[in-house]
Amino acid sequence: MIPASCTPLSRVQQYALIALLTLTALPHVLNIDSRISALFLVLVVYRTLAIEKSILLPGKWLLLLVTLGALGNVLMHYPILLGRNAGVALLTSMLALKLMEMRVRRDVHILVFIGYFTLVTQFLYRDDSWLVLYALLLLFGLTAMLVESSRSTASANLIRPLGVSLSLLVQALPIMILLFILFPRFSSPLWSLGAETGAAVSGVSGNISAGSISRLSRSPEVAFRVDFNGEIPPPAQRYWRGPVFWFSDGKNWNADENEELAGADLISLGQTVDYSVTLEPTPGSWLYALELPVKVPRDSQLRSDYQLIRNTPVKRRVRYSVSSVLDYRTGPLAEKERQKGLQLPPGITPRMLDLVTGWQQQSRSDTALVLKALDYFRQQDFYYTLYPPLLGDNPADQFLFDTRRGFCEHYATSFTLLMRIAGIPARVVGGYQGGQVNPLGDYLIVRQSDAHAWAEVWLQNKGWQRVDPTVAVAPERIQQSIDPNLINDIIGAPILFGEIDSGLLRAMLNQLRWGADALNASWHRWVLGYSKESQVYLMRLLGLGFLRGPKLAYAMVGVTGLFILFLTLTLLYRVRERRDPISSTYQKFCQRLQRRGLVRLAHEGPKDFAERVINKCPELAGSVSAISSLYIGIRYGRQDNKPNRRRFNRLVRGFRP
Amino acid sequence: MNFRLLNPLRRLARSDNTGRASITPRRIYILPTGNGVLFAILLLLMLLGSINYANNLGFLLTFLLMGLGLVAMLHTWRNLVGLELKCGRAAPVFVGDAARFDIQLTNRRRWSRPGIQLQMRSGTPLTIDLAAAATGNLTLTSKASQRGKLALPRFTLSTRYPLGLFNAWAYVELNAYCLVYPTPGARMPESPLPQYSRSQMGDRGVGADDFTGLRHYRPGDSPRHINWKALAREQGLQTKLFGGDRAEKCWLDWHRLQGDTEQRLSQLCRGVLDASGGDIEFGLKLPDIELKPARSQQHRLNCLSALALFAEPK
Repeated sequence: MIPASCTPLSRVQQYALIALLTLTALPHVLNIDSRISALFLVLVVYRTLAIEKSILLPGKWLLLLVTLGALGNVLMHYPILLGRNAGVALLTSMLALKLMEMRVRRDVHILVFIGYFTLVTQFLYRDDSWLVLYALLLLFGLTAMLVESSRSTASANLIRPLGVSLSLLVQALPIMILLFILFPRFSSPLWSLGAETGAAVSGVSGNISAGSISRLSRSPEVAFRVDFNGEIPPPAQRYWRGPVFWFSDGKNWNADENEELAGADLISLGQTVDYSVTLEPTPGSWLYALELPVKVPRDSQLRSDYQLIRNTPVKRRVRYSVSSVLDYRTGPLAEKERQKGLQLPPGITPRMLDLVTGWQQQSRSDTALVLKALDYFRQQDFYYTLYPPLLGDNPADQFLFDTRRGFCEHYATSFTLLMRIAGIPARVVGGYQGGQVNPLGDYLIVRQSDAHAWAEVWLQNKGWQRVDPTVAVAPERIQQSIDPNLINDIIGAPILFGEIDSGLLRAMLNQLRWGADALNASWHRWVLGYSKESQVYLMRLLGLGFLRGPKLAYAMVGVTGLFILFLTLTLLYRVRERRDPISSTYQKFCQRLQRRGLVRLAHEGPKDFAERVINKCPELAGSVSAISSLYIGIRYGRQDNKPNRRRFNRLVRGFRP
Repeated sequence: MNFRLLNPLRRLARSDNTGRASITPRRIYILPTGNGVLFAILLLLMLLGSINYANNLGFLLTFLLMGLGLVAMLHTWRNLVGLELKCGRAAPVFVGDAARFDIQLTNRRRWSRPGIQLQMRSGTPLTIDLAAAATGNLTLTSKASQRGKLALPRFTLSTRYPLGLFNAWAYVELNAYCLVYPTPGARMPESPLPQYSRSQMGDRGVGADDFTGLRHYRPGDSPRHINWKALAREQGLQTKLFGGDRAEKCWLDWHRLQGDTEQRLSQLCRGVLDASGGDIEFGLKLPDIELKPARSQQHRLNCLSALALFAEPK
């Protein structure tokens, strides 16, 4: 006898598998090299022909040849086998080869598994809703193939396994929804298959101008990740220092990577913070460190303006350990620094000078003047926006007096300029601000959207001090990161029309359109765009705000477990057959006798059993014969009526041998 | 699954007094199959990929498949819950033959139970698809290597339905046995065959040879046996009785044979088979039991089972 796993596949099964798997791989045809798709189609067509003419079924040697050929085909087009396309090419070729080899039932599982995997890979290319539907339909079909192959004989038609597959999927659906909502999301990829992205790396560079940082802010890419040895500092203290910009030509500000080495003139006023940074490739060779770095990582140098510069450009991901001080005082100002810190570009307009002169008259010290300047930003109608209006030849002047809409670089550069006019040495510092804590890994993720620029001024007795004019305009910027996904999130806002009576149909159509739009928006927001942020938001909405990080994972396991328990009980309840109440009552009677050692034997009818019982225990004769004869009368005779049933139940209930 | 040490801890599905074993939920073991493990690895890969690419549709499909796996586990388990097994009478066999146990599987549910498998240790698996509220039969065979009662060995009932990702199984022990006769050995020595012995009392019983007495006529008696002479003497209707057909009789005697117990039993078995083929009445003499000479199918079976169970501890 052949074991079930080696039963040959029926013709129907073969056709169904080939059709389903071809459809599964079909959307990939456009994604991968056409020669790989062509080989796939050729193999599939050949295998389909072989169903009717089994002589065409490939033997061992032909299979080996085809396998080598297909592998060579993949290697020819994707020599390093790395990245998305290479993976899909390999998967598609594997699918075709396994189809060629398919003969017995055991092959079904492997084929279906490859099919499942292929379905998932399609979402790496497209996220259309029709594709989701398509994938679900194929999943349903493939699952039916598994159902069919785990029977011991082929079912009469394919409708039955399809029905089983559907019922399994319907029961799996709630689990899917629970897991989808509760599975903890990571803010960053686990690893990067970066071979695909040949694009230029983005990040804060050695040159900023109006608009260069706001462009970065729209990118959700990770800039770097930080593991802290101790506690993570609060958002307001997370200033990640990068290039320092001294020189301005009025439009651009440039950093100098060749500053002098740092002296030992830093006075620390607080504890040092130790941490390690994993920096993604960035333009230039700046390393990023919190506030003022004190311990210098290997292969890098600390400049006198506290730029941390690596000996070689950061073209690959690097990891380094740094220590920083958050509370500090720098030493005296060198003459060279003073000169650089007061350099003024051409294009200082009279109204800028007037503004500064006004402040100078009102304030006694430099500190007071700095505060005056910040007040100016705070009190005048300045706006913080990612889409500032374009600025002309003299951006600082135009921004300060005309447009007054800008992103952090606008505020930092114009503030620095104003300070220099007032005779206070000042410079612009570029870098990142904030970052999100990943509660699962307990590390900080800083994205390009956290890119920031601020100013530093030199004050007597204090040294260089950080001043962030953006805080004066938009204090919330420092507390929260900008979520690039939410920038365009203005979907669903109703537009108010002049209300004209446009009839019911029109109103309904409008309603439908709004509904479809809302549906589309929620699909985008809750399914495609479901992220860590939306998860936190949803949990808060459900009043489960405390579920974060590991707790979320526990909740996921717990809730899914509960659902499975519920499903188990439901299934068990449905298993229980309804017994005839009379026969189950009689069963109870037998059980009571069993406790006295009187076991009803397999071959014994109720009458024989009663006789044997009465022989053994004559004292039970009355009740046993009454119960038995009533039972026989109800079940086999013509005494089945309500009073008899009731009497029977009462007798058994009162029967205590 | 061959952990002999764990045998006492094993949860078995045993037959009750009516010979039925019912598979209760707690008797069922369940573990992923090789394919199930593969599926889990696949899901892990999908999950890692989805996390890495932060691909929500990938998550969606991965979680659907995870749900499918979990639901399939429940269904595999449920495919056995409540199944009833019973073993029919196994026909006796000789040593060396295969004992055949007919196992009746009863599905009382309103849903079918496909892909049910029975397997004895080191035997080939048998599979069956049980329809809704139906019974099915599978025959387990076990080689009879020893004379006596061959109990139906413990066997496993398993299923992988619906997706083949999990294997649910239960150990079943049904109270059933098959009688194993000794192997027929060499022919018996000629001497005791045939032997005619007649009892001194004359033969009793029903026959046609010897007159044994009279009794009152009963309706249906043959008119040829009516004692007409007595009727003529006005003694009423009487029927003449005859008995004791003359027949060759023989004794198959343990004590006349040489050799050890099994050899003697084998020879006696051959003797019983040979004797029951002809018209001889035969009796069986064993050290502890004596079966009077007779000639019927039942007698033959009695003799064979006496041989099978000889010196069997009760």
